[in-house]
Amino acid sequence: MTEAAATHRERPRAVPAGNVRVWDPLVRLIHWGVVAGVVLNAALLEDDGKAHEVVGYVVLGFVLVRLIWGLVGTTHARFSAFPPNPLAALRHLAGLLRGHRRVHLSHNPAGALMAYNLWATLIGLAATGYMMGTPRYFGMEWVEELHEGLFAWLMISVALHIAAVLLDSWLTRVPLLRAMITGRKRLPPDAGPGR
Amino acid sequence: MSTPGRARTDERRAIALAAVILLQALTALFFLGDVIADLLHDGALEDIHMWLEAMAAVALIGGVVFLMIELRRVMNRMSLLDRSMRAARGEMAEVIDSFFTDWGLTPSERDVALLVLKGIDNEAIAQLRGTAPGTVRAQCTAIYAKAGVDGRAQLFSVFMEELLASDD
Repeated sequence: MTEAAATHRERPRAVPAGNVRVWDPLVRLIHWGVVAGVVLNAALLEDDGKAHEVVGYVVLGFVLVRLIWGLVGTTHARFSAFPPNPLAALRHLAGLLRGHRRVHLSHNPAGALMAYNLWATLIGLAATGYMMGTPRYFGMEWVEELHEGLFAWLMISVALHIAAVLLDSWLTRVPLLRAMITGRKRLPPDAGPGR
Repeated sequence: MSTPGRARTDERRAIALAAVILLQALTALFFLGDVIADLLHDGALEDIHMWLEAMAAVALIGGVVFLMIELRRVMNRMSLLDRSMRAARGEMAEVIDSFFTDWGLTPSERDVALLVLKGIDNEAIAQLRGTAPGTVRAQCTAIYAKAGVDGRAQLFSVFMEELLASDD
């Protein structure tokens, strides 16, 4: 009990315990909007239809808004909270293998790389998709192949992303899926320092 | 206290703002794309139609940026509210602590008193601490005596008074 009382007193100054606001509504709407768009275009709509094109542009719009939000948005949504750093990502993964369980309020370094990867892939998909419809590149094999290659890469990335979210939620006991729905991360009481 | 209500209104406001930002950004991008396509096609900004379209695109983009700043402000205010509420909670813990020290409670009496304040009954406290119910009862009597109160209800009122009085 004395232990609990001690954490009570230290908490407000150190890492905030309990529910911490991390993902603002714009981040969440964009995340699930992109999910819906990808599901629509990958599984439900015909590849050469008008709807496929429109959904693709909407997803591109979402990603562009997210990139602007990365510059001017809330603390945990800004790029400065999760700079792309492959070395830090490797260190993070190696740390996981050694049993370190650091809790990050924004993306962890590996998750940050995944976010940048997903955005780049989606922009690439939209760009090649647009090119296919222009007279200049119409019917060109390499554009189509690039579009399909990027789609395959997107599917691999999505599978990795989901697996990593499940693994990280299990290891750090921070329910990440819930955080992307409610916007709050529930930190376990003994969460180590982190950002 | 209107704080929880205010927080919920802010939450709804933030979600609505985010939805409007997304919708407006999509239309802005559509207009921008249209203007660029027209420019590439005609190569000139001559007729009034083009000007209006270009103005609409610029106005929409300006609106999106303005709403983004507004959303950030709402989110910042909400996390400030969160933080001050946590700080208030931390302060309350300090107030309780200082009272316990004033009364000269022993470490185990402190634990029991804190559990009493959390509304846990004697039997559950005994189970939690792994002691006999009689021990907890004796500790409670000692706590009430040191605090100069008649019982549970009066112990609560000591802290209630502190909360209400600290308003001025």
